[in-house]
Amino acid sequence: MYDGKIVLVTGARRGVGQLVAEHFLKHGAQVVGFSRHDDTGEPRPGYHPMAVDVGNADSVARGFERVRKQFGRVDIAINNAAVLTSQYSMIMPAAAAQGMLDTNVLGTFLVSREAAKLMRRGKWGRIVNISSMAASLQPMGDSVYAATKAAVATLANVMAKEFAPMNVTCNTLGITAIETDMLGLLPRDKVDALIAGLPIPRYALADDVLNVVDFFVAERSSYVTAQTVFLGGVN
Amino acid sequence: MDMLTQDKEAAVMACIYKAVRSLNEERGADEQIAVGPETCFFGEGSALDSLSLVSVIVDLETLVSDEFGRAISLTDDRAMGRDPVPFTDATTLKNYLLELLAE
Repeated sequence: MYDGKIVLVTGARRGVGQLVAEHFLKHGAQVVGFSRHDDTGEPRPGYHPMAVDVGNADSVARGFERVRKQFGRVDIAINNAAVLTSQYSMIMPAAAAQGMLDTNVLGTFLVSREAAKLMRRGKWGRIVNISSMAASLQPMGDSVYAATKAAVATLANVMAKEFAPMNVTCNTLGITAIETDMLGLLPRDKVDALIAGLPIPRYALADDVLNVVDFFVAERSSYVTAQTVFLGGVN
Repeated sequence: MDMLTQDKEAAVMACIYKAVRSLNEERGADEQIAVGPETCFFGEGSALDSLSLVSVIVDLETLVSDEFGRAISLTDDRAMGRDPVPFTDATTLKNYLLELLAE
């Protein structure tokens, strides 16, 4: 399904990023996994972990330089890396807010920018930003996180216009709660209450996420860009 | 001017020309950009639209990085704040690149 494709996944060591990376690997892609820390796991054929802090422009530039030298291109970029601090605004530390802005927004921008440069030559590319139901539901405690997740959709929409002449699409997938490490950072009763209010009141499954990722990156989706798809009936 | 500097200048100019030729490959026969020291990239007299300029910049950053083994950025605040901007013509751009490489 993805034989020969070079896929870049940020935040690939765990959670949704790991899920997506495994999916592309399983279907034949060469997967470059950006994550802040060195991957200490067993080497796997087709998987190329790189220690890159997406919120740091120099680190991203170095990572892409390695990708360019090793593969010469990127076909698909999945901007998944994100950090979350859930806290009432009046007691949210500035450093925590800055951390979310750096990784979630600046990181998505930097990786998309560099990926687009590598997609330009081949005149083909798919960029998918992973957003969250928080962008739409705007729960208390998630002011900055929700704002960053709304921002990645806006980034995708503007970049969709800029990159369209290169046949590069940019879309956003807004996921609902899914069993990952990040979920453990939130009070489970509050997440349960949010989920209970959805049209489809259940947690997301891996396949719910992968289904939309597959759709966005498909060859047939060349006319699908600047779109945001939320799971579970969030809109 | 010593030989080393001349070589470096020639190598930088060759990168600039290569980036323009690369852009020309994507353009129609009647839209070709003249390649030379006076090739204008920006402002009045430039035949490049904004997307074409972006293409040249991206290619040039890669070419210079490969040629000299170090990353350079043509789009930081310093470049855009200069008067004249480094993209006025190929010679100005070459001089700016040499400046960056000398750091």
